[in-house]
Amino acid sequence: MEQQELGATFDDGMDSFLEKFQSQPYRGGFHESQWEEEFEKIPLFMKNSPSEIDPLENPDLACLQSIIFDEERSPEDQARTYKDEGNDFFKEKDYKKAVTSYTEGLKKKCADPDLNAVLYTNRAAAQYYLGNFRSSLNDVMAARKLKPCHLKAIIRGASCHLELKNYVEAVNWCDEGLQIDATEKKLLDLRAKADKLKRTEQRDIRKAKLKEKKKQDQNEALLQAIKARNIKLVAEAPGEDEDSASEGLSELVLYGLSSENPCGTRLSVDDQGRLSWPVLFLYPEYAQSDLVSAFHEDSRFIDHLMVMFGETPSWDLEQKYCPDNLEVYFEDEDRAELYCVPPSSTLLQVLQHPRYFVKALIPTFLVCVGSSGFCRNYLRGKKVHQVK
Amino acid sequence: MSETSPKAEAAKLLPFLTLGERADLQAAAAQHVLALTGSGPGRTLLAGQAALLRALVELAVAPPPAPARDAARALVNLAADPGLHKPLLEAESGLPVRLLGCALDPQWPWAEEAAAVLANLSREPVPCAALIEALAAPEPGESGLERLVRALCTPGYNARAPLHYLGPVLSNLSQRPATRAFLLDRNRCVVQRLLPLTQYPDSSVRRGGVVGTLRNCCFEHRHHEWLLGPEVDILPFLLLPLAGPEDFSEEEMERLPVDLQYLPPDKQREPDADIRKMLIETIMLLTATAPGRKQVRDQGAYLILRELHSWEPEPDVQVTCEKLIQVLIGDEPERGLENLLEVQVPEEVERQLQQQDHQEREQQELELGPGPQAEGASPT
Repeated sequence: MEQQELGATFDDGMDSFLEKFQSQPYRGGFHESQWEEEFEKIPLFMKNSPSEIDPLENPDLACLQSIIFDEERSPEDQARTYKDEGNDFFKEKDYKKAVTSYTEGLKKKCADPDLNAVLYTNRAAAQYYLGNFRSSLNDVMAARKLKPCHLKAIIRGASCHLELKNYVEAVNWCDEGLQIDATEKKLLDLRAKADKLKRTEQRDIRKAKLKEKKKQDQNEALLQAIKARNIKLVAEAPGEDEDSASEGLSELVLYGLSSENPCGTRLSVDDQGRLSWPVLFLYPEYAQSDLVSAFHEDSRFIDHLMVMFGETPSWDLEQKYCPDNLEVYFEDEDRAELYCVPPSSTLLQVLQHPRYFVKALIPTFLVCVGSSGFCRNYLRGKKVHQVK
Repeated sequence: MSETSPKAEAAKLLPFLTLGERADLQAAAAQHVLALTGSGPGRTLLAGQAALLRALVELAVAPPPAPARDAARALVNLAADPGLHKPLLEAESGLPVRLLGCALDPQWPWAEEAAAVLANLSREPVPCAALIEALAAPEPGESGLERLVRALCTPGYNARAPLHYLGPVLSNLSQRPATRAFLLDRNRCVVQRLLPLTQYPDSSVRRGGVVGTLRNCCFEHRHHEWLLGPEVDILPFLLLPLAGPEDFSEEEMERLPVDLQYLPPDKQREPDADIRKMLIETIMLLTATAPGRKQVRDQGAYLILRELHSWEPEPDVQVTCEKLIQVLIGDEPERGLENLLEVQVPEEVERQLQQQDHQEREQQELELGPGPQAEGASPT
């Protein structure tokens, strides 16, 4: 009975509504020139939703939003809506927005533990794809506090541990998950992967350890070789007393042995147990230098000088630095005295000289032309010894 | 105690062993029974006392202050004798089920003793079948076998009992195809969890049980490719106990599986010769098929076995090692022999081999002894 009446009113209204347009044009239609833009503004036909909804610009959308996110609805309903919103963003791979939505949902603190567990787990998934593995892990742990057997949370947690290289934890989580569902393929795959990575990592640790040990043994051997030859080493600051020097010295030497000096050369030993040193030649007359990267201890100074001065160097303005003219000295810095080295000596012989101290593992020698004025000047006032 | 009527003596113990009796009397009686089980004649005597055996089982599963531990240890000794399995099961048919419950109960303090009884019992087919049935009984959620594997593989499953003897239990059970099917289920993660136990340092009983289980599983040649592949990756776990602190060259090292590379200088080999032999036998089984042989070769087994051979002090283990090396470096067999497990052996040869096998087996039994035994307390 009521329905018929309603129908009657409706029909009446419709007829009179339609009759209106016989005399007036319809005003509510789109404008011809901008109908597409106007079309886009209708919520039902929107392709992209605006990130901020301005109630003045878009009253319909603002209306809809206030219905969905109405504060008067129950926390569970609101949380569920946020969850759905987050899921939509997730499907579009907009993980940042998804995290925001899920966070809003969790803020409602609704009383449904299942819903909250899902919110945490989903947020964890979004965080995972953002590369925030720690945050993701925290979320799944929160999810598991609410629902310890939530399989999706466990799978996500295991994946996070894998990414964070906590392989043992990853395997443990997989085992926990497999107790709930023994045939879950994702867990089986994750476990196998994590186990293999763990074993590879253990191998890498063993390899590094062995390498380190080998290096230490080599350095120790070098140190022994130096000691056996009675060659005296000195730290950067010579003149320290013997006691403190010897303890700190070994460490310093070992450090010096393990790192290359700035020139990229280091002390080495050959198959016959003979040492080769990086040796620095200084030419005080012209403030020049030469570095011999591997001066074999049994080779003679003259042999190297012949090679180095086969042609006179460019800085040798007077062209007088010929192998025959050269004199080699080393300085005893402690006593500020010079020692003249016969070029026919081997490096080892000089290094073993009681007043020779190797500084920073680079033996250093001064070279000048004996008969030159510079040399005479240089040597004046200094005590010079002849090495036999 | 007079020896003239041992039966009567034993019968006298019975009232003191019943549940509800005074704890101190129970304890003394249980100790006495335990002492009896320490000798052959004592065990035979007890075997004839069905009521006593039943009482013993009741005590073994009873909560404190009952002398459950001594009762269980007495059962361990009794079960060590295969001839006593029949009287035991006849006296108490629920023996396997009840002891299984104890062994797998995380709170039961004498779970290890219960497991030891089961280890002894399950060596023989009839009790083994009874145990399998007990495990198959429907349990909400987890199957009995799954629970057993979990108890074996989870450290701290039972805070008061290490449960090493679950290893031999599983090994005995794996003689049955149904157990192997469960262990080798590709849709689950079962056998993979056993693998790290081949290196378990604190118990050769557990290690031996696990290796025995793996060996039995490797009779299933249909699963070899899967076992040797990345989902299980069984070979490194079999080779690792056989590897020593060898200093291989960089090139050789790269050929080895990851787990065997750069082993530290203090790496020890498996100290138990029987387990070493079982490991080699297991690898040998994996070389039965041509693809299996290839996988074993490619994963660098030869290098490890070569070093093992020069170190190995036990002659029969060395011989086994030699045989395996021969397979690895030998030529591929002729057509028709690709799967050595399926080769048709001529009858005469079959008979000879069986005879040889039988003799070898007898020798082994003598060497290994009758299985795990608990020590008996001497009567005061």
